[in-house]
Amino acid sequence: MNKINREKISELVFNCIKKYQEEYEQIIDIAEGEQTRLFGGNGQLDSLGLVSLVVSIEEEIETELGIAIVLADEKAMSRRTSPFSRIGNLIDYIDELVSS
Amino acid sequence: MTIADKFFQLIVEHSSKTAVIHDEKIYTYDELNEKVIFYREILLNKDISKGQIVFIISDYSFESIALFLALSINRNIVVPITTENLTEIEDRLSEAKPDWIFNLRDGDILNIKDNVSIERHNLITRIQNENASGLILFSSGSTGKPKAMVHNLDVLYNTFLQKKPRILNFLVFLMFDHIGGLNTLFNCLACGSTITIPENRRPDHICYLIDKYKINILPSSPTFLNLMLIGKSFEKYDLSSLKMITYGTETMPESLLLKLKEQLPNVKFIQTFGTSETGIAKTTSKSSESTLMKIEDPDQEYKIVEGELWLRSKTQILGYINHSNDSFTSDGWFKTGDLVEEFDGGYLRIIGRSKEVINVGGEKVLPTEIESIILELQEIEDCKAKGLTNAITGQMVVVDIVVKQGYDLQSIKSIVRNHCKLKLDPYKVPAKINIVDALAFSDRFKKIRL
Repeated sequence: MNKINREKISELVFNCIKKYQEEYEQIIDIAEGEQTRLFGGNGQLDSLGLVSLVVSIEEEIETELGIAIVLADEKAMSRRTSPFSRIGNLIDYIDELVSS
Repeated sequence: MTIADKFFQLIVEHSSKTAVIHDEKIYTYDELNEKVIFYREILLNKDISKGQIVFIISDYSFESIALFLALSINRNIVVPITTENLTEIEDRLSEAKPDWIFNLRDGDILNIKDNVSIERHNLITRIQNENASGLILFSSGSTGKPKAMVHNLDVLYNTFLQKKPRILNFLVFLMFDHIGGLNTLFNCLACGSTITIPENRRPDHICYLIDKYKINILPSSPTFLNLMLIGKSFEKYDLSSLKMITYGTETMPESLLLKLKEQLPNVKFIQTFGTSETGIAKTTSKSSESTLMKIEDPDQEYKIVEGELWLRSKTQILGYINHSNDSFTSDGWFKTGDLVEEFDGGYLRIIGRSKEVINVGGEKVLPTEIESIILELQEIEDCKAKGLTNAITGQMVVVDIVVKQGYDLQSIKSIVRNHCKLKLDPYKVPAKINIVDALAFSDRFKKIRL
């Protein structure tokens, strides 16, 4: 089996963010790249927006990589560093989930 | 003379009118009377005595109607069973423990001797002591074990004794073991109307019968009416005899009602409302295009408690034999679990079941509101909204959609999402959209939701 690399996941997440912007006509400023804040603190998404983005990432991972994962569960929420705080954290978290 | 006797007397007076059409055969009220006499003789010969619990395992048929009447005149406690699923039949037998079983499917009459001497539930002895006939109906059991509900059958019959004769042809759509199906049956028999029993409940067959036998009234459910619409059954047959379609058992999406009315402009659409626990209430719809209705029934009281409809009726069940009475208050109100909105002039709108409410970050969403909006789209054949747990907002709205043939599946999710964004608050917009081939519905043509 090919190892799924972080780069692939990163590409996929940024694609979903792009799609989200088109679908929801909301601009997410990604100038800071992986440091971009998504949710909580100065995050650019509200909880409904985050749910939509997370669902679209889950679907994309299933279609592209054939792996079914659940991103928004208690495990994710109880982490000291929220996987949803910054784009980079989200990519790391997905990488961790698909690798295990 | 018992009330069941009086009810039967009323039926017999319709003599030469058509009582039942089934399997391409036409039976008059006189023939029904003869069949009831035939079954009463069997009851006598078999020594089936009053107060005994008797199962009828059968579909709706001329025979089963006659047997049902004979048993109620004999003051038995009747348990109509239409399911063909053996496990379900076994479950019902073990809950209601009959003295006798009439299996009209294979012609067997069985005496369950082990049950004859057992001590009966106090609801059963109450009916026996009152010299009345009884009825046990089972809830559909979509959640947990089916509840066995005990009705005093004489009390149900009593509400039909003052009916005026009316010659109409009804198609009986709901089953024999359902309060709505029995309500239609009793109403027809009391009025001298005709009951047409379909062989199956495929939309094309139903429309064929409407055409052939000039059916006037079609009691139905929104799910079934949508199937008729999708299959274009309306267009293949002459439905000009149809005067009225009644719908109930689940919430009617307003957009579906409008499509139906457009298709059948001369038909009156009336909402019916009832529960197995309280019986069918007399209702009037504001108009054929409106899902607003009024409960106007001298035998039923209602009130709305925190958005939920509570009913108290003269025809309500005595109780459950295998379940606690916690859906009833101590003063006899039944908490229906149906959520309603109130409007001027005493009108109500049923908006959904309380257990189906989706909670998105503390905001309440009703599946039918979402469904009605999505059904406005011409690309959509059917859809079902539900809640799915997530750790961010508690629950989110998910919809399963069935796309009409010939439409592009690639773009459909965006079309649905954009339409919802236009028409609904942001928290109601489905976060997830699944394209499915078909939606599941129960044998009573109700969408399976949980």
